[in-house]
Amino acid sequence: MSVDIRSPLPGVFYRRPSPGSEPFVDVGSAVEPGTVVAIVEVMKQFFEVPAGTEGKIATVAVADAEMVDAGQVLFTVLPW
Amino acid sequence: MVSVRGRAARHSFGGDDHIYVELDEEMNLSANFKVMAITSTIGDRGIDGVIDICPANASYQVRFDPDAIEPRQLLAELESIEAEVGDGTGFDLRTTVVEVPVLYNDPWTRETLMRFRSHHQNPDGTDLEYAARINGFDSVEGFVAAHSGSPWFTSMVGFVAGLPFLFQMVPRERQLEVPKYLTPRTDTPRQTIGHGGCFGCVYSVRGAGGYQMFGITPAPIYDPTQTHPDFEDFLVFFKPGYIAKFEPIDRDGYDELTAQVEAREFRFKQAPVEFSLGGFLADPDGYNRGLMEALDGS
Amino acid sequence: MGVSVLKPGLATTVQDTGRPGYYNVGIPPSGSLDQYSSLAANMLVGNGDDAAVLECTYMGPELRFDQPATVAVAGADLPPLLNGEPRPTWESFAVGAGDVLSFGFLRSGARAYLAVSGGFDVPVALGSRSTYALGALGGHRGRALAAGDELPIGPAGGAAPRRAVPEALRRNHPKHREIRVMMGLYDHRLTDSARRAFLETEWRLTPVADRTGFRYRGAELEFRDRDAPFGAGSDPSNIVDAPYPIGSIQIPGGVEPIVLHRDAVSGGGYVMVGTVISADMDDVGQSAPNITTRFTEVDLDGALRARHERAARLDALREAVG
Repeated sequence: MSVDIRSPLPGVFYRRPSPGSEPFVDVGSAVEPGTVVAIVEVMKQFFEVPAGTEGKIATVAVADAEMVDAGQVLFTVLPW
Repeated sequence: MVSVRGRAARHSFGGDDHIYVELDEEMNLSANFKVMAITSTIGDRGIDGVIDICPANASYQVRFDPDAIEPRQLLAELESIEAEVGDGTGFDLRTTVVEVPVLYNDPWTRETLMRFRSHHQNPDGTDLEYAARINGFDSVEGFVAAHSGSPWFTSMVGFVAGLPFLFQMVPRERQLEVPKYLTPRTDTPRQTIGHGGCFGCVYSVRGAGGYQMFGITPAPIYDPTQTHPDFEDFLVFFKPGYIAKFEPIDRDGYDELTAQVEAREFRFKQAPVEFSLGGFLADPDGYNRGLMEALDGS
Repeated sequence: MGVSVLKPGLATTVQDTGRPGYYNVGIPPSGSLDQYSSLAANMLVGNGDDAAVLECTYMGPELRFDQPATVAVAGADLPPLLNGEPRPTWESFAVGAGDVLSFGFLRSGARAYLAVSGGFDVPVALGSRSTYALGALGGHRGRALAAGDELPIGPAGGAAPRRAVPEALRRNHPKHREIRVMMGLYDHRLTDSARRAFLETEWRLTPVADRTGFRYRGAELEFRDRDAPFGAGSDPSNIVDAPYPIGSIQIPGGVEPIVLHRDAVSGGGYVMVGTVISADMDDVGQSAPNITTRFTEVDLDGALRARHERAARLDALREAVG
């Protein structure tokens, strides 16, 4: 049974801390509740999205730099 | 003598709660003075339902409550006031002439402009060097002398709180013109002396901006805390119609005035004057000398 | 006594009905972007219309109440949690001293209004408690809330009874909006086909949407060629710097129209092609990035009718709740 990581905000979803760098997480990455998994940009502010759960990233549901709505599923996580 | 331009005003509703009036498509002191005369008269009328009266460079705007006054009725009233004011030459503006001390080519705007060189037409020099060159001056000193040599008319206050747009009070062929940055900066120091197109300005708050940066004044022009002596009555210093004269200072002068500002002791050198457009247009340089005498006599 | 800010949310500010009368020196009206919901929240807790509320944008704050109070959340569907337990929106509820109010994820809309009985009692600046952050004026220290802030609460008029806004008078937040505009100002500077395209395009709100302005994406619009008048910039979308109506729509460079809202820059050098009518400004304020919008043209009489309809809806709200 997988757990969803949802966007707390509407905005632009970024998988990397800066262009050209490695993604925060990928399929198979281990996460803890405080692990930053993505950034959402809105109103020229960048908000770090925490995993909020622990386990292994099962799917990445949104492409980099796409617009997301608040509450939209960004990742699914398989709990340990 | 520069002629007084006559041109039909263009009116437009801005939604159901604004009336926007363009007096001229181009900037000129006659249009701006007409704006001042019309908007002061609207203010004096005390029309019910009028919320904000905004004079601007060659246009003005009235924001109103359509529940209190029918928009078409207000429009008719504005048109009748415009007809009454005519070209504005019969109107004497009671205003203030003020000296603004400026440290040209200061370290803070210099540091900022260096950070945004990729946004600029002239990435290899400073904003002042660029402005001097395209206005035909041999040196930055010559440009600064022209910039600080004649007074500037506050043709509009706005964009952000308390920011004056300044129009140089010289015949058009002597006006300094510099395009804005190619793309705006995300940062401008507070109290930067800026220039874009034919307009000078003083940045009232730190923030984004697209005007060229020539220097900085130690004098606050916006004080939301109202703790500086010139701000006891109101948090904005510049009002539309104020006449500003830039006074070059050196670093020691800047530091001395900054100490006064920090001690809440700084006051602008200023004097009340009556400005007449007709008198100015007849002899701009002579009229400006009179304004400077009023300032020096203060 | 009052409220302690544990987490500030994304852009939470104190707002009220606004600060009219200072636009001539560049100070915009400010105030809640969705006035209808802000007024509803105040009515629910027994406040007068001019009491200050918190405008919570996209993500709510976490607040500890240091005194008992009646509170209500209206506007965006941002679900309140009292000590972690769900509470309804558009309904008042009681909080006790020591209780923590937080919020779940935004479900729809953009801005939720939190009213507290007695109102947030920050100092009045130029007749209003509204925050104008660009000018560091009003609100709590002239800025958005930060963790550790303490907000005083004004004296309440007595224990407010539990109230709810009837379903029919609540706002809903569709994913697509029709926003009515009066064309004008400088719309004659658009080519005929660009003017048509402006009204026919389905625009999408970008993440650049804050209290100053809302920027949309969807088409490129062409302006008529002209010789630049003295003092105007060289781009055909430039004019001699002029006042901007609240709600006016500018299109710098012909791309990405911007609707100015209650923290507007008061003027500038871009052509405006029309203005959102006063009745639809609340809807703009509840628009979140990614929603689609079509601007539909109305004339002055249509705008005034819409304004009266909005006023009638507010009267009905007062009748039902106030």
